[in-house]
This record gives sequence, C-alpha cells and structure tokens, in this order.
Amino acid sequence: MIQPTGACVKAPVSRYDAKRSAARVPLSRVPLYWAALLSPVDITAPLDAAAQVRLIGLVAEAQDRQAFALLFKHFAPRLKAFHLRAGLADGAAEELAQETMLLLWRKAAGFDPARAGAATWVFTITRNLRIDAARRRQSPLPGQLPAWPEADPSPSAEALILENERAIRMRGALDTLTAAQRHVIELSFFADTPHSSIATSLKLPLGTVKSRIRQALTRLREQLGGEA
Amino acid sequence: MSPRHHPTHHPADATLLRLAAGTLNAGLAFVAQAHMHGCAQCRTRIAAFEAVGGALLDSQPPATLAPTAFAAVLARLDETPAPAPAPRQAKLNLPPDTVLPPILATCDIGPSLWLGRGVRFNKLRLPGTAQAGAPQTNVILVRAAANRPIFRHTHTAQELTLILRGGYTDITGQYATGDTAESDATLLHQPRADAEGCICLLAFEGRLLLTGWLGWCQRRLGG
Repeated sequence: MIQPTGACVKAPVSRYDAKRSAARVPLSRVPLYWAALLSPVDITAPLDAAAQVRLIGLVAEAQDRQAFALLFKHFAPRLKAFHLRAGLADGAAEELAQETMLLLWRKAAGFDPARAGAATWVFTITRNLRIDAARRRQSPLPGQLPAWPEADPSPSAEALILENERAIRMRGALDTLTAAQRHVIELSFFADTPHSSIATSLKLPLGTVKSRIRQALTRLREQLGGEA
Repeated sequence: MSPRHHPTHHPADATLLRLAAGTLNAGLAFVAQAHMHGCAQCRTRIAAFEAVGGALLDSQPPATLAPTAFAAVLARLDETPAPAPAPRQAKLNLPPDTVLPPILATCDIGPSLWLGRGVRFNKLRLPGTAQAGAPQTNVILVRAAANRPIFRHTHTAQELTLILRGGYTDITGQYATGDTAESDATLLHQPRADAEGCICLLAFEGRLLLTGWLGWCQRRLGG
C-alpha cells in the first residue's frame, strides 16, 4: 500500500530499490497518480477516461478518499441518471448509485484497466446491482454475473493505452449510429425487457428490431476495427 | 471444459447483448457465463457490448443527487460485507478428467434424478435465488451415457445448452466440449450423446416439455 508521500515517486537509485517499488506498485503508473492530484484539475469538468483509471488506481492502492470523492462527483450523478432512464423511481435510482459507488470502493483492486475502460467497469458493477435488486423484488429474474476474475497485477502500458483508446472510440462509434439504431441499442440497455417487448413498445415487427440491432452492432464493429 | 478445445458454436449476438445489458434470464446468463470461461472469443465479444454500456453511462447528463448522498456513502466505506453462504452440492461422480467451469462452484446442486436409461440430471440453484418462488431460473446438469438418446423435448421459450464433456448430435448439428447450442420454442429435438457420452448444462426459459412416454409421465405428474 502506497502512502501518499513523495518517496515512492523518486526514480529508484539501486536495483534493490527498483525491485522493492515494483513490488508495491507498477512504476509506470506512479507518476500518473501524482499527475491526477497535483495537476490543476478542474473538478467540475467530467473526468476523462484516463483520469478515471488513475483515480480508481489510487483508491485501490492507497484507499485515497480524495480520489474517491472525484470519482463520486463524476459517476454518482450519471449512475443515478442511468437508472432513472431505465425506469427506476428516484429513491431506487439514488440507492443504486450509492451502492455502486460503495462497491467501486471495495472492488477497486479488482479493476483491470487492460481489460475494460473505467466507465465500462462501473457499468458492470451497477448492472449486477440492478439485477440483484430486481431479484429481491421477485420480478422476472435476469442473471447475476459473477465478479470479475482477478486483475492482472501489472498490465502493460500498451494494453492500458489500447483499452483507453477503445473506450474513447466506443463513444465516438455510438455517435455514428443512426437515430433509430442508437434507439434500439439504448433500449437494450435501458429497458429491462427482451427484444420482443422492445418490438411491442416501438410498435415494430420483431424482425425489424432484430435487424436494427444487428445493423447497429455491425456498425459498432466496423468503427472499432473489427475487434467487437 | 478442456482448454485445448476451441468451441465452434457460440451464443448469438442478441443473447450476449442481453447478457451485457443485464436483461438476460438468470439461467441462460449462467450458462453463457460458463461458456465464456472457456471461450476467449466470446469474452472479447461481450467486452465490446459492455463497453457500449460504459459509453452510455459516461454520456448520461448528470442527475441531481440527494444532498446527503456523499456523506452516506463515506460513512459506509469501512463496513465489511457479510460473506455469502457456502453452496450445498450433491456428489456428482463425474469422470476424473472433467473440467467444470468455476462458476459451477457457486451454485447448489440437487440430487441426481433418473430420466430414461443412461440419462440422469441434477437441478441447480443459482446463488441469490434461494428465496422460495424464485421463478424462471431453470438450470439442469444432464449426464448421458455413450450413444444414449437424451430425452426428446421442446421448450416454451429459449434454451441454451453448454457441453461440459463429450458431445451430442441432433438435427441441428454436432456439438462438442465447450460448444453452446441455442434453440427456441420452434425446435423439437432429441439429442443423442456421442461415443464419449455427454455432460451438459442446460438452461431454459419457461418450461421444458418432454414428448413420448416421458412426456406422458410429466403431464401425469403435473410437472
């Protein structure tokens, strides 16, 4: 666990030091933490993907409450908006947003930035909580997904950059969808219903909804360079 | 599931999208997850769908939180969550080289039940569905001896099967270890275990309807 002192930021002077600090935290990530805290951050602006990753890293390695506060400021209002959009009442959406932030704090060490962007990871946490909540209400039960497998302790810088780029490209890719395509994709996430119910609510044949989803997914794939 | 085998049959895009969005039926989600443990390709596919969810989340216009929200969460940061109870599992006596996906360790496994010559099944209970009356989480583990026909059946809704060991063949094709087979209410099929026998996980929405004399028994027993 890194204490927020300046010592660990200095370049290692001997091979022993290098080994020791590598065991504590990947050296490649250390300067980033400090950049996150020391740079004049505009805390009212939305956090970009790279800042989210750095702050979750700080929460994981130093239980840094200041970093958590910044993450809370960014994610909690968006989580609440997401659940309101998915049709939850104000109180339930608020509770899910708070629970998600609590789990973000507890599970931060399991976040593997080489596998998914920070927002994607937060989305998976809140999705699983929503599934749990639905289960407690005994409504038709969607499936709880298990926690992520253990994180790779030292993701390569290359993997981090790739994943970060992908998160940014995904947002760009969503903007290239037609309004109708984006609508069915959003409904897939916001409406707690199978595609047949989406078809009913849009008054479209099921085949049309399915083919729109297929076109949208194909489009996203093209935008992401065939990796989806 | 043996790591040397690369699955050739995968869940459909629509199924994985619902899994990523969190709207897939619990049983189907469980089986799809078990498949993904052994299938890097599907892990990549779902990561992309989850990234769509992440992008949607990140692009939401912020909503107004309760003024006490942050204080309420801060006050709970040091709580320790209660551990989940250990699952209860019947002994399965599987062949020693069977590799089960780790997700199976999280659910209760009921006693073995007989369903025709050389065919046995166990009901699974998924974590979080322990309450009475939890509907729509029908997952069973089916074991069929070599070359035995597995009960002829159809479904009232979607079915997802994952082969854990051996394989089976039905009118839609041949499925081997690690493969998934998806079918819906339109398919009436009778899988037949391959020469190695077949162990598979089977999840279905709604009900599974047996036909033939087993179906007669099912209807008589009101099942």
